[in-house]
Amino acid sequence: MVHFLTLLLPALIPSWRFFETIEASPRVQWAGVQGPDVSAAQWCDFRPRPSTLSIWTMFVRLFWNPRWNDGLYMVSLAERLTLASTPHSLAEIFRLVGREHGAQSAPYLQVRLVFVSRGKMGTNDLVEQVSYLSHWRPRDTIP
Amino acid sequence: MSLDVAFRASEVLLALAILQQSLEHMCGPRRDWWIFVPRIGLCLLLLSGIGTLLALAGLVGISMVILWRFQGPYNGGSDRMGLLILWSLSLAQGTPSNLWQERVFGYLAVQLVLSYFISGKVVKLMNPDWRSGQALRDVFAFSAYPVSENLRRFAHSPRLLWCASWSMILFELVFPFALLNQKLLIAALGVAALFHFANACLFGLNRFFWTWLAAYPSLLWLQARVF
Repeated sequence: MVHFLTLLLPALIPSWRFFETIEASPRVQWAGVQGPDVSAAQWCDFRPRPSTLSIWTMFVRLFWNPRWNDGLYMVSLAERLTLASTPHSLAEIFRLVGREHGAQSAPYLQVRLVFVSRGKMGTNDLVEQVSYLSHWRPRDTIP
Repeated sequence: MSLDVAFRASEVLLALAILQQSLEHMCGPRRDWWIFVPRIGLCLLLLSGIGTLLALAGLVGISMVILWRFQGPYNGGSDRMGLLILWSLSLAQGTPSNLWQERVFGYLAVQLVLSYFISGKVVKLMNPDWRSGQALRDVFAFSAYPVSENLRRFAHSPRLLWCASWSMILFELVFPFALLNQKLLIAALGVAALFHFANACLFGLNRFFWTWLAAYPSLLWLQARVF
């Protein structure tokens, strides 16, 4: 009950502190691995954004945008996972990745979170840091 | 705008917003359909205007299931605003006292004003990164929000982003003053809707657009009631 109230109360008594600071931004990456002790050979971005989008597509997405909203949910899950690792966040990330890449040949899946941020003060160079690396999971155990 | 008209306008806009979200969820896993199929039915019931209270109560129940299913809002701030509107409308419609109806609906209107004012004053004006335009450059440079890679080039237009930052800050700061005049308020809400529209196009935040619109009738009612 207390946990449920912590989920509900921020909606009923909101703080409205959107984008208070622009924090490091998570990217979810996945890899297919051949076995439990095998290192991932290649990491792929989960749903990389397109290089361009037409104005018409942007407008249509005002009405129909399920894939992008799934991606925003993935960002929330990644942030939650870094703040306090919960089985729910990790299971949901694996579910979303597995749904899209479940038919790959490698029998196991692994995910990691890469956080992108601005570099040193005064520069606009971007810095990437791997902040989380999951254990592998057999594909057939991902719902 | 009378209280009854404002209630109905909010109900219709909220039902459309929730309907849009629920239809999007039908692209998701089938195991979640047991949540979203009834939600679609309740939205249609709310739109029809028959059994409004039953529809609102059902949607409140499902909102709790969704919070539990996703362990929080699925879509951050827009879901939170949606919950606030839904709970406010349900409580206001559920109470027989006209005074309490006004208080609850007024709370929603005040929260709408705060949603702009706090994010303008407390968040942006107090933050040197927002004042210099750096925060908006960061949003375009590396945040997860730009919908395509070519939008990231805006990060290299510091003057444009400085102007955009200050336009946002000033608009959000003066927004409460729009309550003094109905025409001014309608114009301010139009600008605010354009702001959400731009966010929907550039950052894919389509749910914010529809959800915030659903709260606007409460503010139009409050303005007419108080001023």
